[in-house]
Amino acid sequence: MNLTAQLKYHINYDLLGPAVLRFQRWQDERKIRAAATKNGDALLAGTLRTTARMKEMMALHYLQGRYANRVKKVAWVTSGAPVEILKALDFVLIYPENHAALCGARKQVVEIASAAEDAGYSRDICSYARTDIGSLISGKTPVGNLPKPDLLLCCNNICQTVHYWYRVLAAHFEVPLVLIDTPFLYTDAQEHQIAFVKQQLEAMIPIAERVAGRSLSYARLKEVARYSKEAAELWLEILNRAQHKPSPITAFDGFINMGPIVDLRGEAETVALYASLLAEVDERIAAGVGAVRHERKRVLWDNLPIWFKLGKLSNLLASHGVNIVVSNYTYAWGELAPMMDIERPIEMAARVYLHPILNRSTGDKLRAMKKLVADFALDGAILHSDRSCKPYSVGQIDQRDRLVKDVGIPALLLEADHNDPRSFSDEQATGRIEAFVEMMG
Amino acid sequence: MLIPSRREIVEEVKSRGQRIAAVLPIHYPRPLLRAAGFHPIEVWGPPHVDPTIGNAHFQAYTCAIVRHAASFLVSEAATVADLILVPHTCDSLQGLGSVLIDFIAPRQPVLTLYHARGRRECDVEFTIAELKRLASALVEAGGEAVDEETLTRELEVEGRLLQTMRGLALHRDDFAICDRDFYTLLRSWEFLPPERFCALAEQIPRGTPPGERPIRLMISGIVPEPLEIFDRLNDVGARIVADDLACLSRRLYKTADVDYDPWRRLALMMLGMPPEPTVGSPIPQRIDHLLRRLDESRAQGLLVYDVKFCEPELFDLPLVKQALGERGFSVLHLEVELGLATANQTLTRIEAFVETLQ
Ligand code: SF4
Ligand code: SF4
Repeated sequence: MNLTAQLKYHINYDLLGPAVLRFQRWQDERKIRAAATKNGDALLAGTLRTTARMKEMMALHYLQGRYANRVKKVAWVTSGAPVEILKALDFVLIYPENHAALCGARKQVVEIASAAEDAGYSRDICSYARTDIGSLISGKTPVGNLPKPDLLLCCNNICQTVHYWYRVLAAHFEVPLVLIDTPFLYTDAQEHQIAFVKQQLEAMIPIAERVAGRSLSYARLKEVARYSKEAAELWLEILNRAQHKPSPITAFDGFINMGPIVDLRGEAETVALYASLLAEVDERIAAGVGAVRHERKRVLWDNLPIWFKLGKLSNLLASHGVNIVVSNYTYAWGELAPMMDIERPIEMAARVYLHPILNRSTGDKLRAMKKLVADFALDGAILHSDRSCKPYSVGQIDQRDRLVKDVGIPALLLEADHNDPRSFSDEQATGRIEAFVEMMG
Repeated sequence: MLIPSRREIVEEVKSRGQRIAAVLPIHYPRPLLRAAGFHPIEVWGPPHVDPTIGNAHFQAYTCAIVRHAASFLVSEAATVADLILVPHTCDSLQGLGSVLIDFIAPRQPVLTLYHARGRRECDVEFTIAELKRLASALVEAGGEAVDEETLTRELEVEGRLLQTMRGLALHRDDFAICDRDFYTLLRSWEFLPPERFCALAEQIPRGTPPGERPIRLMISGIVPEPLEIFDRLNDVGARIVADDLACLSRRLYKTADVDYDPWRRLALMMLGMPPEPTVGSPIPQRIDHLLRRLDESRAQGLLVYDVKFCEPELFDLPLVKQALGERGFSVLHLEVELGLATANQTLTRIEAFVETLQ
């Protein structure tokens, strides 16, 4: 461990950073309160207060990453990776997908991804990957600096794309790449599939221990698994509160506040954060406040958000009294909570990490959408046909048709991209959304 | 040299009472299918199919292999197949398998096969279990129960087929036929019974391939469609001396020790392909492999001939290009749509590329 690096880490991450970020949060909270009292007749109820705390946590997380090299071991991990083992070994975890989404929300993707495109990475590959590789090449990032990984953990339970992408990272950083290979579930999970994932998790432990320079404590692993489960349960409860009419939240609130359930699961602070978010959502319900002031229609969002258009889309829809109340994307981080068994963390991980919606069949995804339509009393569905995310998008044409035919709701296939604004036409999207709203009546 | 058509092979196989399996790209256990009484015929698109039906199920940003296959599998021509096998090659084929099962529902049973992406003992064990699962599914689809003796025999047949293929694909300079004929013959292993393929291979005239002092190229990618690409390359003075194509050399599996039981042998074979992106080989290993093949074949450059929207190919390309460039090899990347004639722009790029190597 390097002494200067350690000193910098403590000064910035333990002392200065938290103080500055606490002050920023206090300012953000004041702004949110002021906006809420001023905009009594706005279309949207406004930002949830807890969002300021969420921002503080995420900023602190990136701040820790910024000073982590030579002080702590760093792992870059995919969003659906079984991180509990690494967390228990005290790795600092960096999620390139979340970082890419942040670049998207801050509208920096074109500039950053261009560096990857100039190096030969096609515009047809996932725009998260292009953003991440572009950031690697150019050093550009909205978070100051991303630490270099000592280990890469790739779980292909969301797509095979992450494996192609992490192979590039492994070649670039020349660090071990651990793959947790999760067979795609065309039907129910079978014993040999679960056994395979469990074996890989067990095989990963000595590799991670070697890189971490310490042994895994099973007591600590159980603790981390408990926090993961509690956070996922709370997240699910928060999202399910949208079943209330009018819904106290929109799917956009979910997109904005999902950072910690992805990046900081397994931590006590995340559990506390979501407990207070749930309390705030309940306050809204008690006060009869709807997230969209004049909620007329309730809609499902399928697939990733369009990160660079969150504000614009949410306002456009709210102007028609439409609330996107639920999204199967944010739901994915909560719906597996009941499956989690903290007494058997490895077996639990093998089962749970096989089951994200993206690792299940197109028919299963349709069934899940139909259930959301029923549970949340939805009037329509928007299926974001995401140009550079094939695993989420392939199958949508049939899913849309079945929602229309079997469930009898209007369903719109909206062409866009989760991170690349060059694959999005404002005019066309607005026209299509307005036509869709008209169809709902 | 007359290569029987797919239709002739279907008739011949059916008259022997065998069943037909339509198999999607790339890797699958041929010996197991044969042991269960199925003759595999591969479906790489196909290029000349009306893609309307496929386009009604898959977005335009899905590769044409998937969109064409979806159209083909519900067409009259596909009714000869008794089952469809979709290996889990990539996100798009995963989607095709799932959409076929859940929505399109062709008249034949649709079976799937997951490829382990690692090369650890757990990958071997998983692959054995997955192959046994497939064997049971083949029985449910009307096939025969696979006994170890039959499987062992089919593994021997496969060994001979692979040896023949290796003799051809790795020694292009020894055969006195043009590229188009040569690669048409090689690609007939996609539907010929092994013994027919080996017999045809015997008949290829030995000697120097036609063309004087050509520019020597290696071709990489998924599938060389349309085959006229070989004529165009020959026209501008180039010859393909080696390949790294998914439909050909990426399936030159290592055959495992005969002391293992047949399931393990088959699993090791399924995990023993040369480095390639869809099975997750580390990129440096792939680069080493490409460099070795370029050296062995005395190729001067690499033509990467990709199907549009093929993510596995696109991720490796920049590092491959860079590493090959550092070793003095030029790389030309072309992306094509299946079923379309070679565009003028493509021809101009090929011509310019070949000129730079002269
Ligand atoms: S956006 Fe889609 S393709 Fe990209 S990493 Fe996520 S799931 Fe994979
Ligand atoms: S061409 Fe590429 S994307 Fe298409 S099926 Fe083949 S491997 Fe998958």
